[in-house]
Amino acid sequence: MKFNIDDLPVLFPYPRIYPEQYAYMCDLKRTLDAKGHCVLEMPSGTGKTVSLLSLIVAYQQYYPEHRKLIYCSRTMSEIEKALAELKALMAYRAEQLGYVEEFRGLGLTSRKNLCLHPSVKREKSGSVVDARCRSLTAGFVKEKKERGEDVDLCVYHDNLDLLEPHNLIPPGVWTIDGTIRYGEQHKQCPYFTARRMMPFCNVIIYSYHYLLDPKIAERVSKELSKDCIVVFDEAHNIDNVCIESLSIDLTEDSLRKAARGANNLERKITEMKSSDAEKLQNEYAKLVEGLRDAGDARDEDAFMANPALPDDLLKEAVPGNIRRAEHFVAFLKRFVEYLKTRMKVLHVISETPPSFLQHLKELTFIERKPLRFCAERLTSLVRTLELTNIEDYQPLQEVATFATLVATYDKGFLLILEPYESETATVPNPIFHFTCLDAAIAIKPVFDRFSSVIITSGTISPLEMYPKMLGFNTVVQESYSMTLARRSFLPMIVTRGSDQVAISSGFQIRNEPSVVRNYGNLLMEFSKITPDGIVVFFPSYLYMESIISMWQGMGILDEVWKYKLILVETPDSQETSLALETYRTACCNGRGAILLCVARGKVSEGIDFDHHYGRTVLCIGVPFQYTESRILKARLEFLRETYRIRENDFLSFDAMRHAAQCLGRVLRGKDDYGIMVLADRRFQKKRNQLPKWINQALLEQDTNLSTDMAVASAKKFLRWMAQPFKAKDQEGISTWSLNDLEKHKEKVEEDKIKELQGAQNGASSGAIGHDEFGDDDIEEALMEVDA
Amino acid sequence: MSKLTQRNGMRPADDQETCPICKTSRYLNPNMKFLVNPECYHKMCSACVDRIFSAGPAPCPVAGCHRTLRKARFRAQTFEDIQVEREVDIRRRVAATFNRREEEFETLLDYNNYLEEVETITFNLLNGIDLSATEKKLANYAAQNAQAISANASRASREAASLSAQQAAEREAARLRREAARREEEEEREEREELRREALTRLAAGNQGEADRIAHEMQKIVLKKSTARKQRQQMESLLKPRAGMAGAGGAAASGLAAGADNGSAALADNDTFVIKGLKPTLPVEPEKPYDPFGGYTEHREYYVLKDTYEHPWLDDVRSKPQFLAGGYDVHEYYARTMFEAFSGLCCFVGDEVAAREKASSGEVATTAAAEAAGAGGGDINMDDVF
Repeated sequence: MKFNIDDLPVLFPYPRIYPEQYAYMCDLKRTLDAKGHCVLEMPSGTGKTVSLLSLIVAYQQYYPEHRKLIYCSRTMSEIEKALAELKALMAYRAEQLGYVEEFRGLGLTSRKNLCLHPSVKREKSGSVVDARCRSLTAGFVKEKKERGEDVDLCVYHDNLDLLEPHNLIPPGVWTIDGTIRYGEQHKQCPYFTARRMMPFCNVIIYSYHYLLDPKIAERVSKELSKDCIVVFDEAHNIDNVCIESLSIDLTEDSLRKAARGANNLERKITEMKSSDAEKLQNEYAKLVEGLRDAGDARDEDAFMANPALPDDLLKEAVPGNIRRAEHFVAFLKRFVEYLKTRMKVLHVISETPPSFLQHLKELTFIERKPLRFCAERLTSLVRTLELTNIEDYQPLQEVATFATLVATYDKGFLLILEPYESETATVPNPIFHFTCLDAAIAIKPVFDRFSSVIITSGTISPLEMYPKMLGFNTVVQESYSMTLARRSFLPMIVTRGSDQVAISSGFQIRNEPSVVRNYGNLLMEFSKITPDGIVVFFPSYLYMESIISMWQGMGILDEVWKYKLILVETPDSQETSLALETYRTACCNGRGAILLCVARGKVSEGIDFDHHYGRTVLCIGVPFQYTESRILKARLEFLRETYRIRENDFLSFDAMRHAAQCLGRVLRGKDDYGIMVLADRRFQKKRNQLPKWINQALLEQDTNLSTDMAVASAKKFLRWMAQPFKAKDQEGISTWSLNDLEKHKEKVEEDKIKELQGAQNGASSGAIGHDEFGDDDIEEALMEVDA
Repeated sequence: MSKLTQRNGMRPADDQETCPICKTSRYLNPNMKFLVNPECYHKMCSACVDRIFSAGPAPCPVAGCHRTLRKARFRAQTFEDIQVEREVDIRRRVAATFNRREEEFETLLDYNNYLEEVETITFNLLNGIDLSATEKKLANYAAQNAQAISANASRASREAASLSAQQAAEREAARLRREAARREEEEEREEREELRREALTRLAAGNQGEADRIAHEMQKIVLKKSTARKQRQQMESLLKPRAGMAGAGGAAASGLAAGADNGSAALADNDTFVIKGLKPTLPVEPEKPYDPFGGYTEHREYYVLKDTYEHPWLDDVRSKPQFLAGGYDVHEYYARTMFEAFSGLCCFVGDEVAAREKASSGEVATTAAAEAAGAGGGDINMDDVF
């Protein structure tokens, strides 16, 4: 269907549109017009991606600036989905407009997923693929070949150089599979095709990391212009992604490997000194001059990028004491040795980067400045030595990255040494965490650089938390409710068992038999009444294991077994995917199954249980983080001091966003239906932290239930859902045809006119005395207070 | 020598299980400690050290090593790799001598060249290349630049001290903030409890049918209190100056202490270490004695204060014991009276007007400053109170 938003003609690839999709597009357009950032929450399963793409593509094609879209998503499958949507949209546009627009949309993913080289693509680990690819495609390898040496090259990569650099792939939308197929046909490397075509694309779809991780972003996303539209989809976890991209963990093993890497480097340097001293001398001369390597022009094959953010990069020459290759290697060895010494301490240490640097200087005479240049100097050295087996140097690279980061940032980071894995362990297995505490550090360049950044997800409440934590301002913050022709999902809060004993996963009572039994009864009752699949979420693996073994002892599992197959998620992803497959089979053949999984595990993020795959989701306990973790404690303190976010507020927010994410798993569309049960006493007070669309559907009568009441309510709901429901019933309410849309627009216009008239009248009749807080305000403000 | 060795609970490395000299294993002696001597870096257990070196200097017991070792110099090993241990010892020596700072150089390139030169010397010492020549260089440099070296060393130690003081202050501030936050939370909870209790009592005391009204009123109170608290917090956070920042800049900002006499580097001998690109060092002016009046003097321009002035009614003051006993000093009186009499006599209105006009014709921004200078800058006599 085709309609206008203000003056912008939008082509929407479906005959009907949801009201919230229309509202979403209007707000999106407002944001783009204002060239600002926004946070939007739209219920899951209401076509967020397609409305986003259709509006932005329309915007691109209509206005002369042709602002590029960078769409970031979290997982491979989501990237694939978005590409498929985009492809369908462009096909629809071509059909409607009668001609094919000049348009390129590409997806980018890792080398491992895209490689065509016959032997490299068989490698299992991503980093090995990366390293081997580099050794076949690096600039110096090619030079060697030209000199007539016998070295291996990747044919697929070389063929790219024969093509026009701006037209490696014809216009159109290319899914990942499509790119690979095209690459196979034309014998060209899909990965480098996508990388090099990025400046010429209208839409780029890739993972968060290409924009947020400074190590990658510097290389991949450097050339994108300022007016790009950046979208982070499924962004409810974006702060954690930011933090992870700047955090480093070092273990004894990795340090040992790093030391070995440094020794190898030393050997290589001696070799090169005897065979090709000129090269080292050239590198040295360049460093003396303070020149950046000329080979940077196309550094897609570089060993590693500087981990510091672009505006922190030093534009001066490398310090004199690490200028010579042998000096630098000795420097690295000393630093690694120092870290090893630190690892031997048997008690927990947490310190700030300045104090770490001071101690380092006292002990090893390593100053801050050469440390900052560590990553860059290592890259330059590796390039000069023309190393091919780069994967051996990965641990050394990690140490260099650590060195640069620790010397660059004073604030927002913390070093924590944990000598033991757990409280009870007696054999030390030290881990040196270098943790980033401030999510705003990694994402700041993105906000600084791009004029419009859109952060969107199905569950991103409370909206104001994200701008606070990530340090940006929004022009639009909006949460949409779900328009429904019938009540198609039933959220409930169960606080008591049938015996009226409060249930909770709180630390004090979580292992009490009465609580465990009540949880068991809840599961049993729901397994009796729910058709097909049930998904159960626990706060942690540990708790899940203990509760399952207790249920086994109580005979609850035997009872459940009569109704459903029971499957369990494990930390191992292979096992989990097998369990998922079995679960799906069991749901499909009508027996139904129960999947027991963890609220922060793989299943809770990114796996959909649409229709019969999930009719009930049970959230057992509030999924709080493990609060005794030192890293979390440090982060909480940082948040309190820097952003004035209280510990409890953040913990509760974090738990509720994961709970909401779990609940959202079962409802993937308007014709879907499902029961959502929050089983914990503490949910009663936290209901205002749920996303608006869930909270609205949660009626007062469905809160504070006991198990038997919940079961009765669920039975009624399921009976209602069993009634025939035709697509026609939804029309005009939860789906709009073009006519409905026109009507809505007219109504909005009328409302506006009335409002204006009303305002004029109101102004003439004089201001009405206002109470300090209107009644509506009170309700809203009180919600905040309670939260 | 460092924090690290003082920290208790260092875990012994896996290879530190038997003493290479007496072959005692850790199994037999769980608190065995290994020591090294920076003379030859051969490892032995503390029992061996006691046994061999208690009677005085003795040769190293390791076969082939004939160095004479003293007990006093034995110490615990910091690094696992003995090479690094040795390197750090050498670096300590080199760093104590070559401690120039970046701001002493004219350009960055000069500084980098200097750093590289120092690194080369260290490397030579480490790997035994040109050992005697390098040692000589080091000694010569140390002798020539003794003053600069000690100045830089004292500065470095001052900076280190201020840094650790600052860190301690920051830790303390963080602790205080943490406590404040906890208190705040506590107070808030108590307040909420209180209000709930109050609401209940009011409900209990109220008439039938008034429940809604009371609940509504209570809600309003809660809301007002919470907004008031929020505002108060915001105000506090705005007003509160960043603690711990005060002590920061002091030592670091101290000016360039100098005293290097790189003129003596003119000997272009091979044995001397020449640093290029050092900034010419200005001799620091000796500090003047402290002047409490900030440049004002008691010098009088227009009159001379005599020792005595004849006036009949001053006679009493000079002679009568009532006055003298009270400590009245007639000279004070003279000075004050004369000052008052002559004050204002040295104001030259014409000059000041001219100065003001000149200033106001200039840029607007500097007017105020110029006026101030025109008014007060010219004459700083005690005579002129205006």
